[in-house]
Amino acid sequence: MSRTRTALLRTAVVTGAAGALALTAAGPAAAETEVPEPATFTSAFTAMATPDMVINNDGVATPGEPGTSGTFTYRINSDTEVICYDIRLTGVTPPYQSPAKTATHIHQGDAGQAGPPRIAFPNPEDDGSGALVSSGCLQGPFTTGLAPQGSDTGQGFTLDQIEADPSAFFTDTHTSAYAAGAVRGQLVEIPVGGVETGAGGASAAQDGSTGTVLGVVGGAALLAGAGAVALRRRAPQQ
Amino acid sequence: MRSRGLRRLALAAGAALALTGCAGTAGPAASPPAAPSSTAPAASPTSAPAAPAPSSLDPAAVPAPTAVSIPALGVAQDLIGLGVAEDGTAEVPTDFADVGWFTPGGRPGARGPTVLMGHVDSTAGPAVFYDLRELTPGDTVQLTVADGSTATYTVTGTEQVAKDTFPTAAVFGATTEDVLRLITCTGAFDAGARSYTDNLVVSAVRSG
Repeated sequence: MSRTRTALLRTAVVTGAAGALALTAAGPAAAETEVPEPATFTSAFTAMATPDMVINNDGVATPGEPGTSGTFTYRINSDTEVICYDIRLTGVTPPYQSPAKTATHIHQGDAGQAGPPRIAFPNPEDDGSGALVSSGCLQGPFTTGLAPQGSDTGQGFTLDQIEADPSAFFTDTHTSAYAAGAVRGQLVEIPVGGVETGAGGASAAQDGSTGTVLGVVGGAALLAGAGAVALRRRAPQQ
Repeated sequence: MRSRGLRRLALAAGAALALTGCAGTAGPAASPPAAPSSTAPAASPTSAPAAPAPSSLDPAAVPAPTAVSIPALGVAQDLIGLGVAEDGTAEVPTDFADVGWFTPGGRPGARGPTVLMGHVDSTAGPAVFYDLRELTPGDTVQLTVADGSTATYTVTGTEQVAKDTFPTAAVFGATTEDVLRLITCTGAFDAGARSYTDNLVVSAVRSG
């Protein structure tokens, strides 16, 4: 998991930049923009995307590329309309193809149903190891480049709609060989932020009992500790 | 919206305490400890098990885990179900002796990860996952499954991560492999916030 630590450091570094952004953010842009990772999130979602989940636009099961899979993990700050994406495809064969402006999407649609794309993400590209990856953060309002009824399918969509009912959304990627989708998966909510699993009653004893490795994570811990960021609470949803 | 009503009710009694942050009473650990410690990340895989066959099987299609046994630590506990709290964070056990599993995640025999969470300590002393940091690559963790079978996982590494930059995708993100993660608190205890600064995440892969 050394990759995790690299990501962790990167995250800690951009936290400061995100704070500055919040202060200077202008009004809504015409389309989504790449932004630094925010310091806090209100929710997170993951999807295990597989070929057997693919449904074409007519609502008919249309299996995608055999033997492939994709992990799509999203972190959302619905207060600032930012979504961060970590996408990894295994075995999927580009080129990508979609009438939308990219071929990697979150669609609104229940399991087994088709539905319009609401967000278009940069397509995963080879990271040098053979895996196709895409990661970053986008700030809405979102557009997809698809407007079958005259208005963009991203118009009117906001991230709190995913938080209200994540199972009504799925994520996928489309290729020229599998235009209906190479892989697809429904969103499942996962926790955001750290896990609160201690009350401090043994903290002194712990520190006394383990004199081993302290150098390894010292830097990361210092970086992260400087922020002392409290998790922002999601506003009650009605 | 989400079907959390029952779980929320069941947890309500101790929720205020348990959900608001490595919740402690004021008191212990006023003197800030030395730097946090950690085991080495993913050390040499001396007894690396064969890579399990990837599975994209829907977790809902297989039985749930019901109990955990960690022979190296002397831990043997039934599992309670955990989900996502209203504020988006992970629910954690209200009883410091309980181990919980994240029910919307993976399950043994299906896609991963299966995620277990337990407290490192209570306000009074060590709790169920106090010794989690002692696990080393090659140690085993066994899950009892609702159909009576046992799933064995072999530890591959331990990672210490800061809570305010928690690697959500790496810890909770869906995996094709049948993997297990065990989470508790570690690092310095912030008496003001009544919370540890870091999480300890132990990773294990299915080996039997």
